[in-house]
Amino acid sequence: MAKWGMVIDLEKCVGCQACTIACGMENTRLPGEHWQDVIFFQEGEYPNTEIKWFPRPCMHCENPSCVAVCPVRATYKSEDGQVLIDWERCIGCKYCMIACPYGVRFYTEEKARYGGPNMKDVFPSNDAHSWNPPWRMPQEDWKHGVGVQPHDVVSKCTFCYHRVSKAPKGTVDLDPQNPATREFTPACVVTCPTGARFFGDLANPDSEVNKQIAYKNGVRLLDHLGNKPQVYYLTGEGGSVPATRSIKKI
Amino acid sequence: MIANNRNNDISSHVRSEANAWLVACIIVGGLSGAYMLYQLMTVGHASFNTSSDGINWGLPIAAYVFFALTSSGLTMIASLATVFGFEQFYPIVKRCIWVAIVTLVAGFSVLAFELGHPFRMLWAMPTGMQVMSPMFWMGVFYLIDLVLLIIKFYLIVQEDWHSSFSRLIGIAGFVAVILASGMLGLLFGSVAMRPMWFGSFTSIYYMLTAALSGAAAIVVTTYMAFDFDSRNMPANLRAFAEGDQMPKVFATLIGITLVMILTRMWTGLWSNLDGLEGFHVLVKSPLFWVELLFGLVLPFWMMLQPGMQTRVVPQMTAAFLVLGGMAINRYEFIVSGQVVPMFKGTWVNSLEPYFPSMTEWAMAVFGLAVALGGYAIGEKMFRLSAAPAHEESGKLAGASA
Ligand code: SF4
Ligand code: SF4
Repeated sequence: MAKWGMVIDLEKCVGCQACTIACGMENTRLPGEHWQDVIFFQEGEYPNTEIKWFPRPCMHCENPSCVAVCPVRATYKSEDGQVLIDWERCIGCKYCMIACPYGVRFYTEEKARYGGPNMKDVFPSNDAHSWNPPWRMPQEDWKHGVGVQPHDVVSKCTFCYHRVSKAPKGTVDLDPQNPATREFTPACVVTCPTGARFFGDLANPDSEVNKQIAYKNGVRLLDHLGNKPQVYYLTGEGGSVPATRSIKKI
Repeated sequence: MIANNRNNDISSHVRSEANAWLVACIIVGGLSGAYMLYQLMTVGHASFNTSSDGINWGLPIAAYVFFALTSSGLTMIASLATVFGFEQFYPIVKRCIWVAIVTLVAGFSVLAFELGHPFRMLWAMPTGMQVMSPMFWMGVFYLIDLVLLIIKFYLIVQEDWHSSFSRLIGIAGFVAVILASGMLGLLFGSVAMRPMWFGSFTSIYYMLTAALSGAAAIVVTTYMAFDFDSRNMPANLRAFAEGDQMPKVFATLIGITLVMILTRMWTGLWSNLDGLEGFHVLVKSPLFWVELLFGLVLPFWMMLQPGMQTRVVPQMTAAFLVLGGMAINRYEFIVSGQVVPMFKGTWVNSLEPYFPSMTEWAMAVFGLAVALGGYAIGEKMFRLSAAPAHEESGKLAGASA
C-alpha cells in the first residue's frame, strides 16, 4: 500500500496562488471554497514586519481527527492514505469541521462567500447536485468526494483522488516533469510554476518526498495536536510554518 | 368527599389551562415551524448565519444542547425518588419524566432540521458503527434514554411505581442519562483543537449543569400547571412545594454551577494557549454578565434566603431566571468555542462575528413550542401530579391534620 504524501517547499513558493486556481478548476469548486488555500499573514510588529504566505491543502492526516469524530463513517481513510468523504453517507452534522485543526473543510449549503452573484443561483441545479456549473470536471465519484457536490454534505481536498488512484500500482513518485506520471499527479503539483510541490509515497524510503523531508528537515503544521499530517513543509531560510492558528492576517 | 370535589375541580382547571397552552403552542410552533420549513425548502441551510470560515455550529445546536440537557436533568431529579429513595420527591416524579420526554423530543426535532441529511442517520449510524465518535455514542445513549423514559412513564401511568421491574427501569434510565449527558459533554470535550471545550471537565460540567436546568424546569412546570398558585395544588404536592427541600437542592445546584463557571473562567483567562482568546471575548460580552448575575447569582441569593425559599413568587422567579441563564450558557458555550477560527485563509477575521439568522431563531422557538405543547398534552391527558397511592393519601392526611 502506498501512503501518499505531499511536500511543499516554502523556500520555493512565491505565493502566486496558481495552486488555488488549479485546484478550483480541476475540482469545480465554488468561488471562495478553496480546498487549497494560500494563507497570507504578517509576522512581527511594525516597522519590523514581514509578509509571509502559507499554502494549506487538507493534510490527509495519518491520525485524522475528522475520521474519528464522524458518527457515520462518511469520512474515512483510504488504503492508500488519502482521507476522503463519502457524499452518500455524510449526514451534514459538521462535526468533522469542528474537529479538523487545519480548517480545510467546507459545508455545501452556505451563503455565497464573496460579494457578487451567488454561483448556485446563476447555475441552479435541477437534480441532486448543489449547482450546475457549465465548466464541470468530467469525473463524478460521490463515494470518494469527487465531482460537483450534492446538497448538504461536507467537502475538502481529496489529494486529487480521481487522478492519483489511476496511477499504476507501485508508483513511488508522481512527478509532473515525468510524462509517464504527469496525468496522475495532483493538479496543484502539476501547476506549481516554481516546482515547490512534490507528491509521492511516504511509505517508500526512496521516494522523492522522503528525500526532500530528510534533506531539508521537513516539518508539519501544528504537530503537537497529534494528527500527524501527511503534508510536510520545508522551511529552508525563507519560509516559516506558523506555530499557532491565530496568525495575524493581513 | 370535600377533598375529592376539590381535586376534581383542580383537574378540570388544570385541563382547561392546558388547553389554552396547547392552542398557544400550536399557533407559535406552527408559525415558527412554517417559517423554518419555508426557509429550509427555498433557501436551504444557506439561511443560517453559520459558515465554514468560522462558527460552524450556531443557535440550533445550542437549542438542542439546552433541551437535551434539561431533559437529562429532569430525569436526574426524578431519580432522587425512584432510584435514591428520597420519597418526598414523589409528587413531582411523573411530571419530571413526562417533561423529560417532551424536552428530549424537542431537542431531537431541532437537531433533525439542523442536520443536512437527518434520515440518512437512521441507516448510516448502525451500518458505520464508528465507535470512536462521541457523537455516535451520544446518539446511542440518548436513544436508550428516550426508550427507558417512555417505558417508565408507561409503568407509572399503570400505577406501577415501585415494582422491582419499575425500579430497574428507573436505575437503567439514570445510568443512561448520566452517560448521555456525559457523552454530549465528551462531544465537545474530546476536540483538542478547540481548547475552550477541551478536557474531561466538560463532561462533568454538562452533567451537573443538566441537573440545574432540570431542577429549574420542574419548578417552572409544576407551578405553571397550577396557575402559579400553590393553593391550587393537591395537598401532597402543595406540602412539597411549600417545603424547603426543592429550593435547597436548587440552591446547591446553582452554587455548584457558579463554582464551575468560575474555575472555567480563571483557567481560560489566565492561560495563553492558542485559541483561548474566546474567554476574553466572553467576559466582554454583556450576555455573559446577564447569565452570570441575573441567571445564577441572583437566584442563588434568593434561594438561600429562608424567607424566600418557600414562597411561590421567589421560587418561580428564581427558576425562570435560571432557565434563561442556562439558555444563554449553552449558547455562549457553543459559540465562544468557535470564535477563534481555524486556519481559514487570507480573508477570514481573526475573531468570527456571529448572530443567529431568523431561520435559526425560528428553529429555537419551534423547539420551545414543541416542548411546551408536549407538556400541555401531558397535563391534559395524564394527571402529572399523581404520586404513589400511599404517598398521596399519607401526605393528604398529614396536610389536613
Ligand atoms: S487536515 Fe483536517 S480534514 Fe484533512 S485529514 Fe487532517 S483532520 Fe482531516
Ligand atoms: S459532516 Fe459528514 S463527514 Fe463530517 S462528521 Fe458529519 S457525517 Fe461525517
